[in-house]
Amino acid sequence: MATTDQNKTKKVQVRRFKPEENPEKHYLNQEKGLWAWLTTVDHKKIGLMYLASIAFFFFIGGVLALLLRTELLTPAQTFIDADVYNQVFTLHGAIMIFFFLVPSVPAALGNFILPLQLGCKDVAFPRINLASFYIYVIGAIFTFISITTGAVDTGWTFYTPYSATTGTSVLMMTLGIFILGFSSILTGVNFITTIHKLRAPGLTWNKLPLNMWALYATSIIQVLATPVLAITVLLLAMERLLGIGIFDPNLGGDPVLYQHFFWFYSHPAVYIMIVPGFGIISEVISTFSRKIIFGYWAIALSSLAIAFIGFLVWGHHMFTAGQSSLANMVFSFLTFLVGIPTGIKIFNWLATMYKGSIDMKTPMLYAMIFLFLFTIGGFTGIMLGALAVDIHLHDTYYVVAHFHYVMMGGMVMAFLAGLHYWWPKMFGKMYNEFWAKVTAVVLFIGFNMTFLPQFVMGSQGMPRRYFNYIDQFQGFHQFSTIGSYIIGVAFLMMFAYMMHSLFKGKKAPANPWGSRALEWQVSSPAPLHNFDHTPVIIHGPYDYHQPMSEFQLGIATSHNGHHAGEPVTVEKSVTDKV
Amino acid sequence: MSGHHVSSAKFLWGIAIALFFLTFITVAVTWITIPEPWNVVVAVAIAAVKALIVVLFFMNLWWDEKFNTLLFIMGVVFFLLLIGITLLDTLYRVDPVPSF
Amino acid sequence: MAQTSAELEERLDHLQHHFVDSDQQFDSSKMGMWVFLVTEILTFGGLFAAYIVYRSWYPELYLEASTELNAFWGTVNTAVLIGSSLTVAMAIRSAQLNQIKGLIINLWITIGLAVTFMVIKYFEYAEKFEKGILPGRYYSYDGLEHEKANIFFSIYYMMTGLHGLHVIIGIGLMLWLVKKAKQKVFHSGYYTPVEITGLFWHLVDVIWIFLFPLLYLID
Repeated sequence: MATTDQNKTKKVQVRRFKPEENPEKHYLNQEKGLWAWLTTVDHKKIGLMYLASIAFFFFIGGVLALLLRTELLTPAQTFIDADVYNQVFTLHGAIMIFFFLVPSVPAALGNFILPLQLGCKDVAFPRINLASFYIYVIGAIFTFISITTGAVDTGWTFYTPYSATTGTSVLMMTLGIFILGFSSILTGVNFITTIHKLRAPGLTWNKLPLNMWALYATSIIQVLATPVLAITVLLLAMERLLGIGIFDPNLGGDPVLYQHFFWFYSHPAVYIMIVPGFGIISEVISTFSRKIIFGYWAIALSSLAIAFIGFLVWGHHMFTAGQSSLANMVFSFLTFLVGIPTGIKIFNWLATMYKGSIDMKTPMLYAMIFLFLFTIGGFTGIMLGALAVDIHLHDTYYVVAHFHYVMMGGMVMAFLAGLHYWWPKMFGKMYNEFWAKVTAVVLFIGFNMTFLPQFVMGSQGMPRRYFNYIDQFQGFHQFSTIGSYIIGVAFLMMFAYMMHSLFKGKKAPANPWGSRALEWQVSSPAPLHNFDHTPVIIHGPYDYHQPMSEFQLGIATSHNGHHAGEPVTVEKSVTDKV
Repeated sequence: MSGHHVSSAKFLWGIAIALFFLTFITVAVTWITIPEPWNVVVAVAIAAVKALIVVLFFMNLWWDEKFNTLLFIMGVVFFLLLIGITLLDTLYRVDPVPSF
Repeated sequence: MAQTSAELEERLDHLQHHFVDSDQQFDSSKMGMWVFLVTEILTFGGLFAAYIVYRSWYPELYLEASTELNAFWGTVNTAVLIGSSLTVAMAIRSAQLNQIKGLIINLWITIGLAVTFMVIKYFEYAEKFEKGILPGRYYSYDGLEHEKANIFFSIYYMMTGLHGLHVIIGIGLMLWLVKKAKQKVFHSGYYTPVEITGLFWHLVDVIWIFLFPLLYLID
């Protein structure tokens, strides 16, 4: 074992802990009953509760999207009127962003997987973790009150002055989002502390799974950006309640200032959504290429770089809003910089696959789809970041298509990759590989049918958020609508085989993918307290050239104090015994 | 352990007295007239010194883990980014429509 | 320190199962609190940003409108908060040294000072409300020439209001600490809630240290 500094490392006796196959006791069948679930502080159950919630909201948001697309089948009114259309697209955006995308990977998958990958028994503050879930629920309740008392028609961005004057229920919606922000912040606090303080012995920073680096970067953005959203929506709420006039030009305020505040959160927020997706893709690509990840530090640090640069570019949403031309130029220039760390990641993933022995399982298929779609989304983003081009494309379907390529083609596909990847660990069941692959292909086709025409439409001048349009766009719109139905069908298929897997699926082995990562070295489903031993890490999570036995080590004696990821030396003689 | 620094009562009183004194200075400088931009600079500078004293010696960052200091610095830096870049817009705006 | 330290070393009832030892738990809580304080800095940061932007646009507004604020009571309140920071630091020191009585006394003094702060704040607000200096569209004072005077006071009310809310939360937290201290929950091996409430309280103080010169002492 490489030990550079003898003074800093600690000698421990280890032995191998082989994960139990088909465990009798696991986290799903201990502590049964509804009450036990609702009051659980177990990160895995909280993760599943989040997963169920975001699935519910994804369904609602998806139905709203299909309503929009159906309305757009004909140039004039098809079946809903203009006001309802405005409310539907606002809700589609707000629900998908605040209730699905932001919590999807960190709060649902992240909660489940983070302590398992760190080799600890729970997150640092389990009760705060549960509180964050309930705060999310309370935020959701406020949003539903808003929907039933007049809905919102401002778009998910709540731009002033319209949001300060419209007759709809903006106040409840903004309060809901204010509350939701706390949920996001608490998750971030929990993750940062857990990653710093609760790593298993031997899990030094240079052995941290890239998914952890991505969640770490995400948590930092959550913690730094969300409070500004909180104060912004609070000011907006006060604007409606008291007319404080900071954003409302009727009272002497400045509406563009609202946009600054809003995008200071909401631009980094798109990285809250996509960066954890990057983490999943790193795990999946390395696992299914059976190969050490190419450029570990480049990928890890580029996550942090994206998190940082993401804070400097918010003004590219405001090129036509009347901000100073100096600010426009600075923001445009900085926007291009985001392409660098993102490109670094894409190249490293490609290099990882090069000469690997690729196993095209469903998660890997989604990772491929991700690479393809996200690259398109990224490139069109560069075009939108160019000042002159953006004047033409601003507020057109080109932006809509770009955003959906990044968020749905990128983030949702990464989420699905992660969901399929960790599904066996979550439920101890396999899904039907054939149907999963068919669904992925259907989804891919449907997605491109929906959003590729929107690029064309947008560049020809079709504005977004419009309820009707001129006849020349009808062909594109109809093609797009048909595509959206295909997406709907794909998700129904996914729901069907996932349910089948839950109730009738084959039992999953502890490590169905042959991964070296720590979460696969416990039984499936995971034990109640994750690890019944203290795991010891001596290799990186992608060291496929090392034997599996060296990834299943734990401290031989029952309990002795260890601190976050401190370096350890392993006594070899004991290692070999097993 | 880094986190368990115990300050003496005398030391804590000393810090408080320093803070009271600086509060007095902040008020006192308003009695003399300082030209326009500098009065803000002086007021904010004294406030920053006071805040720094509180953070270092009451909140124990002086003895604490380095990462906690980094967190604090990050909070301040990102606040400065928010205001700094926003000012790039608000200070250099040209009215698109005169007298709008 | 009547009790022997060996006896206290034994107390581990506070240790949660997923931590290895007390120190890990303590350091984690403290780091978690610091991360939370970062979010506090940025929450208030949004308001400070609004303040700075409007001040850069209308410096004369700030000069004029701040004369309505009473610098004397502002100074008194600054002193009150600094004093409470001192007592909260003394409370932590008492907890570290196992002086539970001192801890409770210091917490009570802190609560008293915090309440004093809020009472002074109440009289300041009441005086302005009487004049018609109300927040937002309810502003009806005509003693100020500047047409954007309402915005200065909107910012003033948002900043001091949010700060006041934090003071009230702090009072609540310290009442809870007193209750726990009376139940003999805290000792030199476990005083994490006292420590992190102290951090919170000091931050409230730091925010006020900036609010005071920026709002009251412009002229």
